[in-house]
Amino acid sequence: MQRSILWVFIAFLAVSCNQTAKQEGDNQEASKTEQIVSATIVELLAAPADYQDKEVAVSGMVTHVCRHGGQKCFIVADDGETQIRIVPGGDIDEFKIEMEGSTVAFKGIFRILIPEVAAEHVEDHESKEHHVVEQSHSSAEKAEYFVEAVDFKEVSE
Amino acid sequence: MNWRKWNRWIHRELGFLFFGMTIIYGISGIALNHSVARHWNPGFISKAISIQYPDTLQKADVDRATIEKILVLTGEKANYKQYYFPDQDHLMIYLKGGHITVNMPTGKIQLTKIRNRPVFRELNYLHYNKPKKLWTWFSDLYAFGLILIAISGLFLIKGKKGISGRGGILTIIGVLIPLVLLIFYLWL
Repeated sequence: MQRSILWVFIAFLAVSCNQTAKQEGDNQEASKTEQIVSATIVELLAAPADYQDKEVAVSGMVTHVCRHGGQKCFIVADDGETQIRIVPGGDIDEFKIEMEGSTVAFKGIFRILIPEVAAEHVEDHESKEHHVVEQSHSSAEKAEYFVEAVDFKEVSE
Repeated sequence: MNWRKWNRWIHRELGFLFFGMTIIYGISGIALNHSVARHWNPGFISKAISIQYPDTLQKADVDRATIEKILVLTGEKANYKQYYFPDQDHLMIYLKGGHITVNMPTGKIQLTKIRNRPVFRELNYLHYNKPKKLWTWFSDLYAFGLILIAISGLFLIKGKKGISGRGGILTIIGVLIPLVLLIFYLWL
């Protein structure tokens, strides 16, 4: 009898702990959702420090996907000129070339490279043979700002 | 059974078992080497053709009707996605499976069709361990097997042609070549 009561008590504890954990998880998820900042590309680049290391939602037409492994892509703002670099993060392995010309909504972390790393990044970029010709996304490719995408969805083809 | 018989057994059985894997990694290795060297892209086949637009164009004049006309000229109406202007002189029209670049001052249209390169794309997918999960385990097993194949190979033959003779010299050469190239490219 005593053993049965003990098992019921343990089972109750396990269920309530699980509930608490689930509620905490839900709360964390809710607060995480609140932290995602929706911004346009122009807004991001106008005040980068405000968005640094924050989770942002940004969308635009994909103008270019890197042909060498799909490790970066570029989206253009509504002004048709300003572009930003998106790199894969989280579970994203690569961006597919088929994304070019599609409007894509990205969720990710807005990053700013520290000056030393940014200088190395530019040097590395300019040393690559296929980067000799300046293209419309070249300044976004060399920029210290980028979004490390954790999720994306094609909004239109 | 003495150790040489075991050694031959390991070399032979692993050689059979991992034949397919060696071909996969060998072919994709060559492809990736040349991809790194930027000779060609193992993932895609890209073909471009040039067409002349009957007139020159200006950014301000380009509208949906202009885009339609270019799409009809190139036969890509069904594949249209979106367009934008990379700079003042160029118009880029995105298509399913490619894009059209228009040099507006000259009216020169370049239609580029892009498709996945068969075989190499799949081999690279495996080489880069894109599938992850079970493939990671099997390719790790292969890597370990390859080490065993290499070590057991050293001791297949006894005597002058073995590791104590000509085989040993070839082994040293094979170790020295990557070492010398590494020193040359990395530290000199």
